[in-house]
Formats: sequence, structure tokens, C-alpha cells
Amino acid sequence: MASRLPAGPTPPAGMNSTQAAKKKQNAAKEFKSLELEQEFKSKHLGVLGVLVWILLLHLAGIYFFTKGFLLTRMVLDNKSSCEILPFDSSNVANGNKDGKGCWHETSFDKAVVIIIDALRYDFTVPFVAEGESEEAHIFHDNIPILYETAVKSPANAFLLPFIADPPTTTLQRLKGLTTGTLPTFIDAGSNFAGTAIDEDNLVAQLHGAGKTLVQLGDDTWQSLFPGYFDENLTHPYDSFNVWDLHTVDNGVNEHLFPLLRKENPSKWDVIFGHYLGVDHAGHRYGPDHPAMAGKLQEMDKVIRDIIAALDDDTLLVVMGDHGMDTKGDHGGESDDEVEAALWMYSKRGIFGRTSQETLLPPKHARERPVPQIDLVPTLSLLLGMPIPFNNLGSPIEEAFAGPKGNDWSNLATVNHLTAAQIKRYQHEYATARGAGDDQESFDLWTAAEKEWKSASKGSSKSTSVRTAHDLYRKYQGHTLGVCRGLWARFDVLSMVQGVVLLFCGISLLVLYARGMKVDRTELTGNLLSSVAIGTGGGALAGASLALSGITEMGVVDLAGLLAAGGSMLGGLFALARKSAQLTVPLPTGMWGWLAFFFTVSQSIGFASNSYTIWEDEILLFFLTTFGVCAGISSMRQKSTTDRVLGVYHSVLFIILGRVASFSRLCREEQMPFCRSTYYASSTSSISAPWQLAIPFVVMLFLPSVVRSFYVGSKSYEDTATLWIGFAFRLGLLITSIFWMLEGADDGEWLPLRKETLKSLRVFLAQLVLAIAFAAGTAAFLYAKPCVSISVSKPQDDPNSPPAPFIAGQDQKPRTTVTILGFGNVYGTRFFFLVINFALAVILMSKPMGQGAIALLVWQILSLLEILDTNALTLSNSPIGPVVLGVLGSFYFFKTGHQATLSSIQWETAFIPLSTIKYPWSPLLVVLNTFGAQIIVALAVPLTVLWKRPLLTHDRVAASPSGTKPANPATKLLSDVVQAVCTHILYLATINLATTMWAGHLRRHLMLYRIFNPRFMMGAIVLGVVDVVLLLFAVSGVRFSTVSVGEIFGW
Amino acid sequence: MASPNSPATAAMNSPGSTSQAPVEKPSAPPVNILPSQLAQTYSYAHPVLLLALGASRFNALVENPVQELLKDLPWLALLQLFYVLLCLPPAGTTVSVSDGPSGNDTKSARSRKPGYRRKNSGKNDWAGIWAKLMPAFLSMSLTFLLATPIIAVLLVLFGAPLTTHNYETVLCAAHMALLSASALIYAHGVEASVWKEVWGIARPADAVWGSALGTGLGAWFGAIPIPLDWDRPWQAFPITILTGAYIGYALGSLLSRTSFIYGKRIQFAPEQEEEEEKTKTN
Repeated sequence: MASRLPAGPTPPAGMNSTQAAKKKQNAAKEFKSLELEQEFKSKHLGVLGVLVWILLLHLAGIYFFTKGFLLTRMVLDNKSSCEILPFDSSNVANGNKDGKGCWHETSFDKAVVIIIDALRYDFTVPFVAEGESEEAHIFHDNIPILYETAVKSPANAFLLPFIADPPTTTLQRLKGLTTGTLPTFIDAGSNFAGTAIDEDNLVAQLHGAGKTLVQLGDDTWQSLFPGYFDENLTHPYDSFNVWDLHTVDNGVNEHLFPLLRKENPSKWDVIFGHYLGVDHAGHRYGPDHPAMAGKLQEMDKVIRDIIAALDDDTLLVVMGDHGMDTKGDHGGESDDEVEAALWMYSKRGIFGRTSQETLLPPKHARERPVPQIDLVPTLSLLLGMPIPFNNLGSPIEEAFAGPKGNDWSNLATVNHLTAAQIKRYQHEYATARGAGDDQESFDLWTAAEKEWKSASKGSSKSTSVRTAHDLYRKYQGHTLGVCRGLWARFDVLSMVQGVVLLFCGISLLVLYARGMKVDRTELTGNLLSSVAIGTGGGALAGASLALSGITEMGVVDLAGLLAAGGSMLGGLFALARKSAQLTVPLPTGMWGWLAFFFTVSQSIGFASNSYTIWEDEILLFFLTTFGVCAGISSMRQKSTTDRVLGVYHSVLFIILGRVASFSRLCREEQMPFCRSTYYASSTSSISAPWQLAIPFVVMLFLPSVVRSFYVGSKSYEDTATLWIGFAFRLGLLITSIFWMLEGADDGEWLPLRKETLKSLRVFLAQLVLAIAFAAGTAAFLYAKPCVSISVSKPQDDPNSPPAPFIAGQDQKPRTTVTILGFGNVYGTRFFFLVINFALAVILMSKPMGQGAIALLVWQILSLLEILDTNALTLSNSPIGPVVLGVLGSFYFFKTGHQATLSSIQWETAFIPLSTIKYPWSPLLVVLNTFGAQIIVALAVPLTVLWKRPLLTHDRVAASPSGTKPANPATKLLSDVVQAVCTHILYLATINLATTMWAGHLRRHLMLYRIFNPRFMMGAIVLGVVDVVLLLFAVSGVRFSTVSVGEIFGW
Repeated sequence: MASPNSPATAAMNSPGSTSQAPVEKPSAPPVNILPSQLAQTYSYAHPVLLLALGASRFNALVENPVQELLKDLPWLALLQLFYVLLCLPPAGTTVSVSDGPSGNDTKSARSRKPGYRRKNSGKNDWAGIWAKLMPAFLSMSLTFLLATPIIAVLLVLFGAPLTTHNYETVLCAAHMALLSASALIYAHGVEASVWKEVWGIARPADAVWGSALGTGLGAWFGAIPIPLDWDRPWQAFPITILTGAYIGYALGSLLSRTSFIYGKRIQFAPEQEEEEEKTKTN
């Protein structure tokens, strides 16, 4: 081992014998050191460049998929009001001031709206054989009342096919049936997380007009319209027990019929009765089953009874919210699923047909279908309500045509009103989006207006009115078509583009992370220049293609797409040019296969809603499996120390994970097999009093735990004592005081004013963040490695074996320089970064989550020891980064989150702030939500740095491999990049899988509830972790390595 | 996994010396079924018999897991006891063979070992019976006193509920312990070097080790269908795990005796021999 003097500030012991030659030698060494340091720094920059490229590729892939998949619609808060007509207010219409209806004359004061869930149209019409072989099914001809009345007394009733907009799930349908708008993935409005409808809707309008609303049956209504229904008369029933065919229906009957009695008419205005028996019979048995026939017959009787009890002023509406497929299920967009039935009935006889052909109800749902949103303007105008602001439906002709079917002026009036409201909405929406009005709609509108004006002047009235009516209908239809194109159609091409980009990115990453034999940093230059050329070429090609008008894609999109593709071609080219250095990137050994298995099996599991729902439990299962394998592997170690330590940490790792698993926040779908412990109770979002002790426990134990791992390698020296023993603990103490005050505020234990408490808390929180990020960053950037160097006289000290080495070999008094903490220089120095972020994340977590994060830090340290004792740090095994990824996902759930929008803890944005401030508030929520993944990402470089032996260029002869790397620091960098890329690979694979499944299952019943949120989570996690790895983890390696190099040389 | 046992192993042998010696050569050769016609036949029939019995009680198990598992436990214990007494060489004899000359030439060792035992028993019937009864007693007591708690703890660590379903967990662990540990203890006693190999999953494949490993892996795979939303009563907690364990037991005990697998060890190092692990459970 060559002896060299530390280049750092410690004055070498034997410098007094000055020799010119020695000085020169030292100068040369210094120069060499400088050179190596420069090389490390420049290669480090290159590596960051590669990470930026990977990040951009991910962003591009996610962008293209999202563009085609996540159709969003802005929710406008505007409400229609009775006083303001949708057209120019100067043009005040008749009949709305005398209390007889708002925009249009009221036809009915009261209404009974019956929803028979999953009432398919062909259930309601007589069976007509289309071919010789076709026979009636069991479900045919069981509910004849609707058809009978529509045929016998057309003025009293009509029956029409009622077409749902997919997804055909009850919740989405009820939204459509009350707001008159189309469903999209994200109705981006003020109330992002909850399910309550905050758009203008029929129920809200009725409620606002002072009507007494009653809801019976399916409890979905309660979550959509909380507080709108009369509490005494309303009786919701649980809608999820599909096996129970009768409870809900009997409950509705029990409460509905008393209200219809003669003595009770003044108690209510509108009743919404929602029967679920038909739907449940479909789910349970399928439509072609006697139970379905029985259920339909029961419904037939119910409707007859209602008719018998009905008075003249009450409108009766019976409808299905969707149909069912041949198996009785629904959710998708097949014909059977979207074709429901609509039947309206009144004793007064005001309905009509405008022509002979439309006299009978259609034989098939294909004829004269009515979109479900048409119910909204129809019902609104019949009940004398304003049309909800966001409505896109049209008035149903039969309801306004008059008993003789020739009331064109009424038809034109209602269509004028509806069209005007649609125009007003379109205008507002276009303004909100910053886009102009559509030209074709504008032309149609002007033409219709012209006819309407001429009709109202009186000349050639009847024809003008009809023309105006037709033009308004045309306008409505056109607008609906435009909106449908905008909101309801997946752009599959764009989705495929995104998936292909993500897939190719992963393939390249596999090659880069797992399939290279040599130092990755040597390739950076070539790689980046090829990538740059590819990007430029692709962007140019894309832009010119788009400009030449060959494709329909926008310039930016096509340029971006081809740039991403081109950059990957460039990268592949750069990698393939050194094909001699590539290997087949197959997993090797037990650990490689285990890492592969964790990643792939989880990815496959996301195709199933069950495995997505129970992800937290599955992650625990994986972590325990890893712990057991680590224990087994440790038992095989030859050295007793390794074996004992390895087994100890494996057991510790497993137990810590299991303890953490007690912190749970259950998602709705996990009920009833899950009990939330994250908050005081399952219905509150504040911590229980006992949980306030957790921060104090964390404060007492976590720094000591971290210290014990430092002490193990004699690294608890220098900055470590100050930072872990004092600053970290102080930060945790302030955090626990903060949360104590928060608890005091919630429970009102302290006689302090709310404002005082709040400002005190904000101050404390900001103090902690200052310790974590301001002081912490300074400490991380400038701290010396955690070693203590002592110079001692030549008495042999057997208790200091770590690394005694000799300074000044020819000196007479052989002074020994003892360095404590030599065994883990890189790891302990870098771990500061994890501590800093852990402190910030702990502040941002609820007390239960703080305990979880503390366990996470402990488990990470334990994992690092496992990796070390099993010789996995230097062999670049993928298991470390992958298990870290699993840990990150696991603790995401353990810090009170779920892959659902509603579990986002928005209120944490106010921990260190009293108002919303950009960009800080979103960043704080990210820190709370993805804290576990962030901490874990920061720990990824440690999988190769922990207890890494110190190597410098003149000491590398000791390295086992024959090839002698010119600069050990770049080898370290290459290992870090490999670990980081492996971690990204884990997350990118999860992201690709969730993306593909969400795209593939885009018509799945559970898309909105399960697959879509998981896809969004995967994509955001990937982006966040990419950024954290780039900005903090890999960047941090530069500072810790330079700091080590300053003391020990390069 | 290893820790609850490590004090036990430490107590059985002198701690310092073991670290070096067993690394040099494998401690104990694979265990063979006794050569008698009856033992050979029954050793194949036993796993099949267990599977058949398990299948016949499956509906009752789904109906009332706790009651059924408890009711079956003595019968399973008796069957296992019968199996080990009839088919396996008891603990002491294996050790005497392991002292024999070569570890490589296992075939000759195999043919010689039963001979040894026969002679002993021929000389003194009492000694022979005692030599069998003592390990059998040890096997049963350790299975219930040590292996069952360890497996129960493992089940909980893998995610079995801690606050509820305690009877299910313990009974499941007892069944798994009978399947996996009873034969191991009977054949190897408390030989430290063997148990170190057991904890390191480094035993050479034989009927005893194969069935134990098969039980564990089978139970692991048995957990997979639990979260699925099929609403089947058999998805309840211990049922699939035990089913997997029984199937794994049978497969492991039968497959590990085939000439492809017999005597081989699972490698962790990159020699890609962990494929064995998969073939065993398939």
C-alpha cells in the first residue's frame, strides 16, 4: 500500500525534513489529484445530462398517453337562475313573471321520478322475432305496462329508447341525468376530491326553488347531492350488496306509497325513487333467468300501483340509467349496456306525436333513440325550472308537442330556450378555455335566430316556426357532437404513441442499467451527442412533416414525438457502437431473479382490480419475502460476523415492515376487511390523542437509531455528532411540539386564540424546514466526512484496527495516523441528505405517518447493512434499488395514502404556510404525498456507497479485478448511475404497466375508481422520483465524493 | 426467520468451532427412505394419501376452518408419525453415516447406511425401538413447541392478521409444522450443522428436505389468490395457504426423489440453479 499524505488540512506529521524531490513529487501528486477531481466533476455533469434525457423521455411518454386518455372537462361554476333568461335579457319572454314557471310555463308542479336500475329497452317492448329461429327470452314481455299505456293513450304516456353515454355506471349516469353533460375522467372543478356534484344540476335547481325533494333507494344519490333531500322522508339504502335483490326495492316501496296517498300530497314536491333489484338480478343471475322475470313483473306491478295513486298534477317518469350486457353486467359501451328505456306518464294527457310514424314506441332501441341528457331540459321545463347551466341535451319532442302533435310554437320556444342556454354555456366554456367559438355553430345559430325573429314578427308564422325549431335542434345536435368529440372519445393513437415511447425508454434503460460491462461514465459523451443529434433530427423532421400538412398532428406534438423517438435511436446507436461492452441484460443469480420477480409480478398484478386494491398488503408480502431471502442468504455467509449481522438485520427488516403495516388508511374497496388506524376513527381526519405521542417517541429514538448504525462503523464522528445528535433531534423536537399544538387546536385544550396558535405553529414548521433544508443543505455541502483522524505516538494500539496507515514512511519516529470511520466514509457522509429530507417529510406527515417514516429510515439502514453483509453493494446487484422501490411504495400506503384522489392530504399544504402560495403549496403536498418515495430515492446511491471501501488512484492495486480503473471516483459514479437507473427501471416498469392496463381497460367498470388513479399515481411518482434522483441524489453524490476526496485524495 | 432458532442452534453445539468446519464439506448427506419394500411403497403413497385426505376434508374446511383444522390435527400427527417411523432413518443413524468417509460417493453411503441400522436393531430390539422412539418423541414435541410458534410468527410477519384469526393462524402453523418440521427433526435431530443448512436453504434435495421446502413454497404461492375479488368462501385466510402447503408437500417430497433433483442444492450465487426451486413447486 502506497503511503501518501492526506491532502487535506491536517498537517502531516513528518514534513519537517524538507527535501526538494519530495516537494516536487507532492506537487505532481497534487496535480494528478486535481486532474482526477476535474474528470470526476465533468463526468458527473455528463451523467446528470443522461438523467435529464431519461426524465424527458418519461415525460414525453406520459404526455402522449395522457393526451389521448385523460379526457378532461372544465366544470363551470355558473348557475342558471330563474330571473335571467339565457338570451338577451332585454328580450324578456312572456309568462315567466307571473309565478307560473321560470323560463317556460310550468306543466307539472310535482313529479315522481322512478329509476329502475339497468332497465334495458328490450325489456319494455313486446318481443318481435327478427329471424325464424329467434325465440323470446325469459326477460322479454314481463313489464308490459309501459308499452301498453304508450300505445293505448299516447297523450298520457310515451316510451322511448334512452341512450346512455358510457361509462354505464350508476354514479356517472346520475351525473349525466341531472346535469345534462357528458362524463369525462376528470371534471376539473373546485371540488376535486369529493364525489358531490358542484355543477349546476336539476336537483340543485329544484332545491334552490324551495321544493321538497325526497330520495328513496340507491344511496349513490346521497354522495352526489348531500343535503338536498328532505331528511325525514328520505331513505337511502346501501347499493353495493349485489347479492341482495329485495332489500332496496322493498324499502323504496315501503316509503314511496305512503307519500302518494291522498292525505300526503303537500309533504313533497319531487320524489326520486331508485330501484336496484333488476340491476342486482342481472349482476347475480344474468338477464336470462327467472329471477329477472320475477323482478320485472314486480316492477310492472309497482308502476301500476303508482299510476293508480297518482294525481293530475304529478308527472311520472320511469327510466333505466343504463342497460346490461348478456351476462347482466354493465359499465362499458356496448349497445346492450347503453340502451335503457324512458317512459313518461301523466293523467292530464299533454303529450303528443308530431307524425304518424312516431305514434308507436320504437320496436328497437336503434329507432328514434333519445340521449339520456335530454331528460334534463325536458324535466326542467316541464317543472318550470331553469335549464341547468352546463346542459347539452335537447327537449324531448313528445313532451312538448301538445296532445294533437302540432304545437310547433311551443316546440320552437323550448328549443330556442335550450339552444340559447347551450350557446351561453359554450361561450363561457370557450372563454374559460381561452378558445374561440366554433364557426359552424355560429352559422347555425345566426340562421336559427333569423328565422325565430321573423316567426315572432308574425309573417308566415307556421313555416318559420318549424324552420326555426329545426335549426335550433340542428344547432343543439351539432354542439353535442363537438363536445362529444372533445370529451368522450379516447385518442387511441396518441395513447399507443405514449405506451410505445415508454416501452422503448424502458428497453433502452434495461440495456443501460443492466446490460453494460464497463464504466458508464466513459460512454456519456458519445451517448449525449448521439441523443442530441437524434433529438434535433427528430424535431426537425416532425416539424417539417407537420407543417407540410401530411398528418393531422400539431407541429409541437409531432416534433416532440419524433424528437423522443430520434433521441432513442441516437441512444441505441451510441450503445450499439460499443456492442462489445454489452451483455444480455438477463437477471443473474437469486437476487437478480428476485428483483425481476418483484417488479414484473407487481406489474402484472395491476391488471387486476383486486391486486391494485390490496397493493399495500402485497408489498408487505414482498418485503417479508425479501427479508426471509436475506436471512437465508445471510445464513450462508462464511464469516461469522457477516452471518450474525446479516441475520439480525434481516429479522429486524421484517419486523420493522410488519410493525409499519399497522398504520393503515383503508380505501373504500377494502371494506369491510380493513380497519383504518391512521386517524382517530375511520370517519375523521385528525389524529387520536395517543398518536400525538408518536412524534416524541420518534424524537427520542430515531436519532439514536441512526447513531447506532454510524457507531457500528465507528463513523459517529465530527459532523455526525452535531448533525444527528443535535440538529436532527432538535428538528424532531420542534416537530413534535408542532403536532402537539395542532392536536391542542383540534381538541381545544389550550386557552389560546386560534390565530395565536396558528401563527405559532407556522413559525415552528418553518423553523423545522429551515433546519432541514437551509442548514441541512449547508451541512451537506460543506461537511467533512464522518471520520476522526488522530495522530498518535508509536505505542501499538490493538483497539484501533480500522485503517492505521503510516504517514511519511522514512521518518524515524513512526507516527501512526489513526482514522476512525474509515470503513464507511462515503455512506455516512451521503446519508446526511436522507436525514435532511426525512426531517422535512416527518414534519409534513401526520403523527402516525411520522412513526412510519421513522420506521422507513430504520428499515433503509437495515437494508443497507443486509446488502453489505451479503456482499451486494459492490456487485451492483439490482436487488438493493428494487427493494428500495418496494419500500417506497409500501410506505406511501403507510403514511396514510391510497391510490385514490380522495386520500390526498391537501390540508398539509398549510403546515408551514397560512395561505396558498405558489409554487410552495403544491410542493408541500408532494412532499407529504410522495415523502416515502422521495426518501427512498435519496437512499438509492447508498446501495453502492454504504461501507464502500475507499479507493484512490494510487491505492487501486488492491482492487480484486485485474483491470485497474484510471479514476476510482468515476467507477463509483458509474455504480451510482447503475443503481439509480435500476431504481428508475423499477418505477418505470410499474408506470408502463399501470399505463397499459388503464389504456387496455378503458371501458372497465372500475376504471375511474381503481385503474385510472393508479395510473396517475404511477406516472406522478415516476416524474417526482426522476427529478429527485437528478436534482438531489445524484447531484449529492458529487458533494459527498468531493468532500471525501479532499481528505483522502482521489 | 433464523433468529428464533439461532439460540437453539447455539445451545446445541459449541459456537466457535462450527463456523469453519461445515464450510469445508457438506455436513450430512441426503436422507434416504428405508430400503424395506413396505417403507419404499408407503413413502410414495404417503404424500398422495395426505393430499387425498385433504381433498376429502376440503369442503368441511371451507365450512368451518378452525373446527376442521383442530379435528384433523391429531390424525395428521399420527400419519406423520407413522410415516417417519416406517420410512425414515431416525436421527442418530444419519449422524453415524455422516462421519463415514466420502461425501462425494453418496450412493455407496446410501446402500451402506441401512445395513448399519439393521445390524444395530438386530442385536438389540430394545435399542432399535428406543433409537426410533426417542427421535419420534423429540420430533413431535419440537414440532409443536418450537416449529409451530416459529411458523405462526412467520405467517403473521407475512401479513396474517395479528389481532384477529389467531386460532386460524396457529392451527395453520401447526399443520405446516407437522408437514415440514416433523420429518426433518426425526431424521436429523438437533444436529446444528444440518439446521444451519436448513436455515440457509442449503440442504441437498431428498424426500425430507424436499417436502419441507415444498410446504413453505406451497404456502407462499397459496397466498396469491387471497386478495382476488371472487367472493369464494375458500379464499378465507388459512385455506388457500394450507392447500398450497399440502400440494407443495406432496410435490416436494415426490419430485425431490427423482434423479434430476436428488442430492442437488439450491444455489444463490449467479449459477442459475435456483431454477430448481421453481421446478420443485411446479
